[in-house]
Amino acid sequence: MRHLRWLFAAVCCFLLSSAQPVFAHHSFGAEYDADKPVTLSGTVTKIEWTNPHSHFYLDVKDANGNVANWKFEGYPPVVLSRTGWKRDVTLKVGDNITVFGWRSRDGTNWAHARQITVADGHKLYFGPPAGTGDGGAVPAVDPVK
Amino acid sequence: MTRSLLLAVCALSAFGATVSDKPPRASDGHPDLTGVWQGGSTRKGDWEEANSGEGVGGTGKDPKAPANISPTSAQAGREPAPYQPWAAKKVLESFNKRGIDDPAAYCLPPGLPRMAVLGLFPVQIVQTPKQIVILYEYMNAFRVIPVAESAAKAKHHDDMVPTYLGDSVAHWEGNTLVVDMTGFNDKTWLTATGTFHSDKLHMTERYTRVSKDQINYEATMEDPVVLTKPWVVKSTMMLREGTRVQEYVCAENNLDPGRYENLLKQGINFQKQ
Repeated sequence: MRHLRWLFAAVCCFLLSSAQPVFAHHSFGAEYDADKPVTLSGTVTKIEWTNPHSHFYLDVKDANGNVANWKFEGYPPVVLSRTGWKRDVTLKVGDNITVFGWRSRDGTNWAHARQITVADGHKLYFGPPAGTGDGGAVPAVDPVK
Repeated sequence: MTRSLLLAVCALSAFGATVSDKPPRASDGHPDLTGVWQGGSTRKGDWEEANSGEGVGGTGKDPKAPANISPTSAQAGREPAPYQPWAAKKVLESFNKRGIDDPAAYCLPPGLPRMAVLGLFPVQIVQTPKQIVILYEYMNAFRVIPVAESAAKAKHHDDMVPTYLGDSVAHWEGNTLVVDMTGFNDKTWLTATGTFHSDKLHMTERYTRVSKDQINYEATMEDPVVLTKPWVVKSTMMLREGTRVQEYVCAENNLDPGRYENLLKQGINFQKQ
């Protein structure tokens, strides 16, 4: 039993130490603020299946009936197609969706999209988690004394 | 006859899990690395199964699946990169700037071993007896690696100019493909944020297919200009049957450097420390 515990600990250590960063094309934190999460519902007005990032635009109505157009950034088409997205099927202009993500640091109507809930309640990821590619919690080197 | 059958059944029971999991061999007897692989993962299965949950490109199909560790996670047991003090300061500067100076943000080749250990994009290995070709979907990069009969015969080209991925030559040491790399420029990061290097970088990669599903990958980096000793990074590549390497033309609509410039002009503070 004791041996099994050591074996388990050793396997865990190996898995943790061998795990490598998962880089996106650029640093999340250089453009987006993980402390500014945002959830918006609206109507899709445009979709760009482009590299290095796909985008979609959303008309969002506020309590007074004013409409603002938001731009959301996410994975490139290759990543989306590998994770269940189908171009012109999964997301279309005119669809009503809810999106969760994080706002751009410049305060404009631009955000990084993480999860999208489509009209039938189905949820899909459009972009990586907050913090992807911005160096993580600890640097590769020890702090310099 | 009955005895032979019984022996065979016993052998299969004893090694059942590993018999079908043995690494395949190429026609020349070496382990066959051919396939489409995902770096930085330890999970078996096809792409969608292995990346469900909160992991890379997760689809949410299996929300209980453990998350792949993201670069935001502290890596327990990690060995700090052995940079010289002046160089460690430079690495920290990039870290504190949240990697705004990442060469990949400009759609330049991200370098190695970074491209071998990232998990978001697949890598295809095509093996022949005399050449191994590695195709990286990320940034549409490729390597054509001559395979020599021995380390002594694995000679680099004599007309090298410094490049992003350097010059690779390989040979087999038992079941491990050993790739010697030199001729790098100094424009890439090795793995994590800010891990720069000089054009004196020398790297040795080791690929060992330990089972049908897994290649153990190890990169040893030596750079007398920035490191104090060789830096060893270990990772795994998992077979992703049914996945294909597709086109990824990063420069198509790269808006990020322009946005960086605007944010910096506006004086927005995104520093970590």
